Amino acid sequence: MATPTHVLPPVPPVQRPRVLLLGTAFATAATVMVFAGLIGVYLSRRAELVSAGDAWLPEGTDIPLQQPNVMLFTLIASAITVQWAVYAITRNDRVNTYLALGLTFAFGIAYINMQSYLYTLMEFDITANQQGVLIYAITGAHIIMVVLAMIFVALMAFRALAGQESRRQHDGISAAALFWHASVVVYAVIWIAVYVAK
Amino acid sequence: MAITETRPEPSSVEAHVNPWGADDDYPSFARSLGSSDHKTIGRLFVGFSLVFGVASWALVALSSLHDIGDVDIVPDDSIFQVFTLGRLALVFLFALPLFLGLAIYVVPLQIGASTIAFPRAAALAFWTWLLGSVILVISYASNGGFAGGRANAVDLSLVALAVVVMALLLAAVCVVTTVVTLRTPGLRLDQVPMFSWSMLVAGSMWLLALPVLLGNLLLIYLDHRLGRPSDFGVGLNQWPQVAWVVQQPQVFALAIPVLGIIGDVIATMTGARQQNRGVMLGAIAAFGILSFGAWAQPFFNDEVTTQWLYIGMGFAILLPMLALLGGWATTMRAGKPKANAATAGAVLALIPLLLAGLASALYTIDPLELQDTEVPYAQYGVLVLVIGAATVAAAGALAYWAPKIWGRSANNGVALLAVMASFGGAVIGGVALVVNGFQVRLDGLADASDFLNGVAVAGVALLALGVLLAIVSLLGRGPAAGDDPWQGQTLEWATTSPPPVGNFGTLPPVTSAEPLLDQREPAPEVAS
Repeated sequence: MATPTHVLPPVPPVQRPRVLLLGTAFATAATVMVFAGLIGVYLSRRAELVSAGDAWLPEGTDIPLQQPNVMLFTLIASAITVQWAVYAITRNDRVNTYLALGLTFAFGIAYINMQSYLYTLMEFDITANQQGVLIYAITGAHIIMVVLAMIFVALMAFRALAGQESRRQHDGISAAALFWHASVVVYAVIWIAVYVAK
Repeated sequence: MAITETRPEPSSVEAHVNPWGADDDYPSFARSLGSSDHKTIGRLFVGFSLVFGVASWALVALSSLHDIGDVDIVPDDSIFQVFTLGRLALVFLFALPLFLGLAIYVVPLQIGASTIAFPRAAALAFWTWLLGSVILVISYASNGGFAGGRANAVDLSLVALAVVVMALLLAAVCVVTTVVTLRTPGLRLDQVPMFSWSMLVAGSMWLLALPVLLGNLLLIYLDHRLGRPSDFGVGLNQWPQVAWVVQQPQVFALAIPVLGIIGDVIATMTGARQQNRGVMLGAIAAFGILSFGAWAQPFFNDEVTTQWLYIGMGFAILLPMLALLGGWATTMRAGKPKANAATAGAVLALIPLLLAGLASALYTIDPLELQDTEVPYAQYGVLVLVIGAATVAAAGALAYWAPKIWGRSANNGVALLAVMASFGGAVIGGVALVVNGFQVRLDGLADASDFLNGVAVAGVALLALGVLLAIVSLLGRGPAAGDDPWQGQTLEWATTSPPPVGNFGTLPPVTSAEPLLDQREPAPEVAS
């Protein structure tokens, strides 16, 4: 005779305030506004020069496009991996979570490496003119944003390793992913405004 | 086989030794240093910002004194630093931290939360702000600051100001996250008390606008620090890049919490429910949106003051203020307001704010030539009126929440003097400066410029006195306050004064925006 089984009703979802996620959203908005201000100044100064009939970049200077393209694809790939981490943790798939977070971190290092290499190729003196100040300020600030995002991801990876992130409680990884996505979007704007438009 | 669980042997744990030698407790300063309790952090923010407030208004008075013909108290080569430090201090060392401190203390209580969101971040914000503020003052004293004479001190000022701004932004994140996520069950977002709502709007607007200032500071720092200033770091170009923070429309963002304070105090002191609550909340939000001024930077767009958006915002900001005035007048007619310092502060704060809105609208009218004076007196007048309104409201708010914050009432007589001095100073000083702005349009006024500047100095000095009196009203041993001395309507009055750790024992059921009033006189919808 088959043993009767009793099916329990599903556990209701836990109602909890998503404090970390919301706090990160506010902090991310503030960070994005730093770049909005910087890029606004950049575009306004560029428009002034261009409308006066001058070229934006001083004669004899150049910014190659290959490295910025590689950085863009690197960051797009990192956006996919960080979302993979969120997807995995919501299914309690720890191995994939660790792998995805590790890859995201590695993409961050690759981005910083490529940006540093680009600095060596750019024929720019940071204080020679306003163009140098603006380009280094914007790209340098973005490096800081990516480093902050990497620290956030690393911290959440350690929390996941300690069992503090799970299917029921994954706000930390979701928050880190939100900040990471914002850094990718900001870079996409920088790519168009600074590297493509020149 | 039975499994027997045995309790593990307790490990040898060293007895905790109080290094201060006290038998029962740590000294209060040691408890404050290590505390992440929102009440302690809020008190610290409020206390230090009030002290900075007296100094800030004194600096503004000194710089205004210099505009009077033969008066030469501050050397010519230092006056610009006194001018810029006074204005920066008013915003970042006084008004913003004062409101954030009040919010850090009061907002969790108003929404029935046991703590603030990210309490350790809030503590970090306070100590970082204090450190940054002290370094900012020291760097100015070392011939730094905007257009300062010592390059390293200038760089230090820029870094210190950036640190101060980041600390305040961190505190703002804590406050707005608290309002959004930690409300007690039953309390909808449109039911939060007016002050909490105004801090949600203000914090959001500060989080959107002040990071743009960080970008400005980064450009100035990079250009100045690395040796060959090309544009942004040139001495005379530095202040104009950041001056938008103390000019319209951005300056009105500092006054958003004033609207929340007025709303809460008037409703409580009148004993009546706020009518048309949704409209009032919407008006505060509209005021906040219209005060977003990070886009209006004349240094980068010298035609911005003639653009339709700037002019439109200059006029439109009056509309939410008028709507709020109508709403509060209706509430006051529905009950009988108590006569005390808190009520006076709430009622009087709206007058300089309305005058600032009017001056802001006049400033955008080109034929009046208010923008054409050599010294932008009208802009200075708007600043004094707005931060003056903030000072009046803060003096009233401190009298209102003193029982909850310090466990005893403020001295009502001294608090009333603080309100009256601040109100008089704001109106006298602000209006004198705005009138002085008409000197291009009205020839005769140029001769009266020294007199008007003298009146402005007297007004600003009154504002410094008002802040000082507010401190005195809190220092005096006022009568011990009960838990709910005002017959309050909102949740902060449902706990002891001051509240215990965790804030609340039990909370009343929350079904409306005035849960304590519901207990005394059930609202129609609750009764039904």
